[in-house]
Amino acid sequence: MSKLLHPRFVIGTSLVLAVLLAAIFAPLLAPYNPAHQDLLATLAPAAWQHGGSVAHLLGTDSLGRDVLSRLIYGARAAMLVAVAAATGAALIGSLLALAGGYLGGWVDWSIGRAVDVWMSFPPVILSLILMTGLGTGLFNVILAIVLVDWTRFCRVLRAEVLVVTHRDHVAAARLLGFSHLRTVLLEVLPAVLPLLFTLFALEMGIAVVVEAILSFVGLGVGANQIAWGQMIADGRQAVFEAPWNLLAPVLAIFATVAGCNLAGDGLRRALDLDTTRA
Amino acid sequence: MSLLTVENLTVTARVGQGGVARLAPVLRGVGLALDKGEVLGIVGESGAGKSMLGRAIAGYLPPGFSVAGGRVDFNRRNLLAITAEARRAMLGREIAFIPQEPLSALNPVRTVFSQLGEHYTHLGIPRREHRARAIEALAEVQLPDPESLLRRFPHQLSGGMCQRVLIAMAFASRPRLIVADEPTTALDVSVQARILELMAALQRRAGTAVLFITHDLRLAAGICDRLAVLYAGAVVEEGGAASVLSRPLHPYTRALELANPALSARRGLMVLPDHMPGLAALAEATGCRFAPRCPVRSHGCAEREIPLIGDDRRVACQYPERTLGITPSAPAPPHRAGTGEALLSVEGLGRRFRVGGMFRRHGVTALEDASFTLREGEFLGVVGESGSGKSTLARLIVGLDRPTTGRIILAGADVTKGDAAARQIRLANLQMVFQNPSSALNPRRRVGSIVAQALEAAHRPTVEREAVAAELMRAMGLDPALVSRLPAQLSGGQRQRVNIARALAARPRLLVADEIVSGLDVSIQAQLLALLARLRAGGIALVFISHDLAVVRHLCDRVIVMQQGRIVEQGETERVFASPQADYTRELLAAAPPDIGAPAPTRLLAIPPPAG
Ligand SMILES: Nc1ncnc2c1ncn2[C@@H]1O[C@H](COP(=O)(O)OP(=O)(O)OP(=O)(O)O)[C@@H](O)[C@H]1O
Ligand code: SF4
Ligand SMILES: [Mg+2]
Repeated sequence: MSKLLHPRFVIGTSLVLAVLLAAIFAPLLAPYNPAHQDLLATLAPAAWQHGGSVAHLLGTDSLGRDVLSRLIYGARAAMLVAVAAATGAALIGSLLALAGGYLGGWVDWSIGRAVDVWMSFPPVILSLILMTGLGTGLFNVILAIVLVDWTRFCRVLRAEVLVVTHRDHVAAARLLGFSHLRTVLLEVLPAVLPLLFTLFALEMGIAVVVEAILSFVGLGVGANQIAWGQMIADGRQAVFEAPWNLLAPVLAIFATVAGCNLAGDGLRRALDLDTTRA
Repeated sequence: MSLLTVENLTVTARVGQGGVARLAPVLRGVGLALDKGEVLGIVGESGAGKSMLGRAIAGYLPPGFSVAGGRVDFNRRNLLAITAEARRAMLGREIAFIPQEPLSALNPVRTVFSQLGEHYTHLGIPRREHRARAIEALAEVQLPDPESLLRRFPHQLSGGMCQRVLIAMAFASRPRLIVADEPTTALDVSVQARILELMAALQRRAGTAVLFITHDLRLAAGICDRLAVLYAGAVVEEGGAASVLSRPLHPYTRALELANPALSARRGLMVLPDHMPGLAALAEATGCRFAPRCPVRSHGCAEREIPLIGDDRRVACQYPERTLGITPSAPAPPHRAGTGEALLSVEGLGRRFRVGGMFRRHGVTALEDASFTLREGEFLGVVGESGSGKSTLARLIVGLDRPTTGRIILAGADVTKGDAAARQIRLANLQMVFQNPSSALNPRRRVGSIVAQALEAAHRPTVEREAVAAELMRAMGLDPALVSRLPAQLSGGQRQRVNIARALAARPRLLVADEIVSGLDVSIQAQLLALLARLRAGGIALVFISHDLAVVRHLCDRVIVMQQGRIVEQGETERVFASPQADYTRELLAAAPPDIGAPAPTRLLAIPPPAG
């Protein structure tokens, strides 16, 4: 388990955990109500800039709302979308991957073709089309990401499932009397879990970015939800007067995505080596 | 003056995790000399340090290993002292290597010609001569149609062809020394014989010296002038090949010889207890490292360092005079003609595979019209070259695959269709032991859970599983304390026992075993053969697939010989080996490495004398 102390993994998980905690405890952490407008103090600069004050650490936006508070509340949408979308995509993708890779034959063939067709659409376009059809809203963003990204899990995991299925211990389990279901759950699935965790972490990062893009173009979680993508869209207009309106959400997205990638990478190393090395 | 002298070479490895890293000697004071044009065999089991010797010469030690002392002189230059650059210039030019895994030694995405060409460039041969040179070199190693071969990729060649390409590369520079590390282990018996002959012929013609590293005493006996036997990192015996084999002085050499079943007659085997100490144990060991397993050890053996003494014939043993008195510890298994009930009948069994993409599919016949009957308690050997359909037959019998034609009758019931009823009959009657334990044992399961998996499948309670696992472990000669280990934490021999134990836990009447002793060291193989012979006393029947004819002769009552998916001969083992009827059986027998002390086989190949 000492592998889990690898700096990559520690840094990655700390970042993700920090965002997750901010999302959960947003009401306690945020200094202001994120929706509260103070029209007398719009576009205030950040505390360390000329004319800034500690009252608004990251300044205020064009409607006088506290940027830090909005950033903290924005983590809620980001994390909700990240965890829910990654879970959904992982569930669908890995179920189909297990079915195809283990059963082979026409099942595998059909799933493989479906994935091919699906993946021939550019993902961003596909999600934009889906959102236009579904309409904005948190649930719809999650649904759109799941519908677009299950293929990522399916394709990568299927290859791994195929390799594991052809190992003799899987055949041996069948010969010893294991049902197909138990064979898959006990002999195949554990071997692909490290890969699944890694993909899950990467997918969380992807979901954060996609959610931001959708919110940016106004097809995201909707106007009554605070989202980082929305903040970027707003902050664009006053980029010279109050740069932190734009920079803060960009950095938040960057840190979250980097955290997910590092954690996923670290997790894979840790779980893989744990069993194969003596 | 010798071409290569190794003096007092010591290589150490860092062992143990965390703070308490210790140094274990992988090679301990190794001294050897190799003359021009001579073939020196380095014989030892896996982990004895054979490959490390080759790698020390190449300056290619794995991370964590380092040379702690001694010298390696090649052509009066100390290889351990020269710069990496000087060494690189020398490797491939004056010293060439032939690796163990021919396929992985070649680059899969480049053609044979591009790889030969690169090697020629390294040797400084002008580009315009490459093609002619390459064609000549491939013809020299008896490869048919060299022109078209040059355009092919390694995966389009068989293992034997790849090894020939590598041999052609090794000889390309007319090196003075070739280090061949288990060059034929990955190959078929018949291919192996041809490759060895080819190497010997090229070696004689060019006067090359060869360091021939192998775990197989029989192979070494055939082609080496001198032999050095390695045990736990030290040379324990060294001398002329004929003399070492006919009059071994070290008990370990004698035990190795007696651990090999003979091709010409059934005989008892020497079964040594336990296995060679691993790296961690070597860090602690003192005295004669062989003492714990030595059948003739005496006072002082384990306490005192035993030096390698003698001139032309050297041995590291206190009591060399006792060695010849060592006799096999396990008697030859009794030969039983099957008279019991038929347990398994196979009638006209065939399997065709469809290969290729969606279009242009074609059929490959892996098995055709196979018929035989196996009686209760009978041991049936299945032999044949690689790709002859042995594994296909095994998979059909156990139900991992369905036949395209024919019938399989198990315990009186037709199980051909492989439906739920057939599955129940198979579950009650047969089990399979797979060849490769690292693939057959789930790396994430503990040993105890693997051994008791049959009971897990039958939803038996945990206490019962644990009891059965412990009992089976003991019966297999395994320490029951190993149940909490992972497969990766066991030795190769232990893993194969766990593999067998798991199949036995289902209490089968018939065991199907695909190559379960190949790839194991002879002393471990002898232990497993003794174990299988004990199982026979319990009345179990066995289908034993093996490419090693001597092992089949030792163990099996009847034998099936397969070639290209067909059974070309079957009958009582003694009859088939004594008077083979099919041409192919005779060929197989001729290609098998001869027993130690038997006259050398007649040469099949004639290499033309060098032109010019
Ligand atoms: N799934 C498959 N698809 C296509 N061809 C196959 C398949 N399995 C086996 N074959 C072919 O059938 C033939 C017999 O193969 P099989 O594995 O039974 O040989 P074998 O005697 O066990 O060889 P070895 O000694 O190398 O294990 C070979 O030509 C092989 O390439
Ligand atoms: S020194 Fe003793 S223990 Fe070692 S091989 Fe000789 S007799 Fe056996
Ligand atoms: Mg096979």
